Amino acid sequence: MATVQIRGVTKRYGGVQVMHGVDVDIEDGEFVVLVGPSGYGKSTLLRMIAGLEEVSGGTISIGGRVVNDMLPKERDIAMVFQSYALYPHKTVAQNMGFPLLMQKRPKAEIEEKVRKAAEILDLTKYLDRYPRQLSGGQRQRVAMGRAIVRDPQVFLFDEPLSNLDAKLRVSMRVEIKELHQRLRTTTVYVTHDQIEAMTMAHKIVVMRDGRVEQIGRPLDLYDRPANLFVAGFIGSPAMNFLEGRLATRDGRRVVETADGTALPLEGAAAEDGRRVTYGIRPEHISVGEGGIPVKVSVFEPTGSETLIFGRLGGQLIDALVRDRIEGEPGQTLPFRIDPRRAHLFDTATGVRL
Amino acid sequence: MRLKRTGFGWLLLSPTLLLLGLFGVFPFLYVVWVSFHEWNPFAANPEKVFNWANNYRALVFDRGFLASLGVTLAFVFFAVSSQVILGYLLAQAFMRDFPGKAFFRTIHTLPLIMAPIIVGSVWKLMTTPSIGIIPYLLRNTVGFDLNIGTSALAAFVITVIMDVWHWTPLVTLSLIAALVSLPPDPFEQAQIDGADRWQIFRHITLPMIAPALIATVFIRLMDAMRTVDEVLMLTGGGPGSATRFLGVHIFKEVFPRTNYGYGSAVSVIVLYLTIVVCWLLYVGLIAPRTTRR
Repeated sequence: MATVQIRGVTKRYGGVQVMHGVDVDIEDGEFVVLVGPSGYGKSTLLRMIAGLEEVSGGTISIGGRVVNDMLPKERDIAMVFQSYALYPHKTVAQNMGFPLLMQKRPKAEIEEKVRKAAEILDLTKYLDRYPRQLSGGQRQRVAMGRAIVRDPQVFLFDEPLSNLDAKLRVSMRVEIKELHQRLRTTTVYVTHDQIEAMTMAHKIVVMRDGRVEQIGRPLDLYDRPANLFVAGFIGSPAMNFLEGRLATRDGRRVVETADGTALPLEGAAAEDGRRVTYGIRPEHISVGEGGIPVKVSVFEPTGSETLIFGRLGGQLIDALVRDRIEGEPGQTLPFRIDPRRAHLFDTATGVRL
Repeated sequence: MRLKRTGFGWLLLSPTLLLLGLFGVFPFLYVVWVSFHEWNPFAANPEKVFNWANNYRALVFDRGFLASLGVTLAFVFFAVSSQVILGYLLAQAFMRDFPGKAFFRTIHTLPLIMAPIIVGSVWKLMTTPSIGIIPYLLRNTVGFDLNIGTSALAAFVITVIMDVWHWTPLVTLSLIAALVSLPPDPFEQAQIDGADRWQIFRHITLPMIAPALIATVFIRLMDAMRTVDEVLMLTGGGPGSATRFLGVHIFKEVFPRTNYGYGSAVSVIVLYLTIVVCWLLYVGLIAPRTTRR
């Protein structure tokens, strides 16, 4: 187990800079998720930690040692790829034992460790099978088994659940989390799925365009997103954004939209007239007396809750409510917004106010 | 199901089956049949005379045949193993990016499109002691006198080199195709798992390209077992019987001596040997991996 420090790391491909000074501190035993839309540098960062990509600038340290110039095998890490990267011509047992075979460990020790890992991952029945004879979830577990037999300092996961179907993804998510709770190995996990990030991480690093947008605990990111990007990315369904200007009405601060609707606020540290983006999560809107009238376009009942899509002025707004609300498209419903849950961002810079 | 009932499928297959029968099965069976006869169509008695397995019995005591078999196996071994090693190294080199890669790759495949008879005559020109460039260079650089007309070893080595020159590109091309189609992830995984370059080759690359590699070896093996024209052109099978490979042996039996029955028997034996060698390779390399499953 070890800490991982990423200091001012940059990455250049020829003349193109794709990563601009990333700083992340990962504690010993921590589960950190790098999250962001696809193609925004999180996999590149993970591959730099693994040693599969060169670091153009800055330093990466594992357990206090700078590893910039070390080969992957010298870094004492294990990685699970999105494709699982199993060796197709080797059995499950041979796949899992391969890192130990490379370390020239005695055969008995390899067999013992593989057997133990197989027990943890419920793979004992499949040790003699070949990868092509396994289902996606089993292959995923073999890849994890290969990672845990070596007892590395750091686990790296590169979108490990993306190739699984939705149901399996949920159960594997739980398995990975359980595995981490059991082994307590420092883990860096890359995903584009914010639900995976929210449910698994101790700490989330939101990345965009080769920059860190925000680092924090899952609920902190949910409660206090640092900017519009994080606010829109974290949480599902996504936060509503309504544009308007700060104003004072009847002695109370509000955000006034173009059509004159006043959106409630609680304390706002900016001057009237400023162009702002008002953010409110769908789950923080309820339907009831005294709400803002919204013209509903679509109802989406899911059984446990109802998602209501509507328009306020020209702007889209949706609400997620616990009640079963049935209605006709085109009707108007009163949306009650909890002002304590509203977020305010500067429209020009996207920064939280 | 309906296709099966009406036999319409067989109708669609019939042109292929007809051609295969006409040009494959029938000639093969005819050769087998001829091999059990004494047949010299240009002699006083041009009739086929059935002589049981006398041709085959004669083979066993024919020193010319046995010597030929020995040099052929040696030739096949040296030529094919050099081609595989060289072909793999070239394929790996062409997997990397370097300036002029497309140009070199094209140049390097040119020998493949040359007819063997041309290859043989060009190499004959290059190795003739009085005018050839190879003896000339060897004499002037290391002082070695290369004469494939008198030295059995030199003649043998030059036939191997010629075959390697001619056919390595085939191995390279099929291995490039195999390497290109490999997924990159297991190789990165192997680096992380702690394998060095040799271990990655042995544990990952080799098993993953094995099917293509073995198919290529089979093709080259079968071709090398029946090499005729290049060698006939270059050395005529000499000096002595140093390069009298089986193909050359059959040719010399059948054409100058018009001994068709005996030549057919040798051909059948060559086919049998080729199958045996391929089978041994298959049993040695592929079968252990499939039965373990």
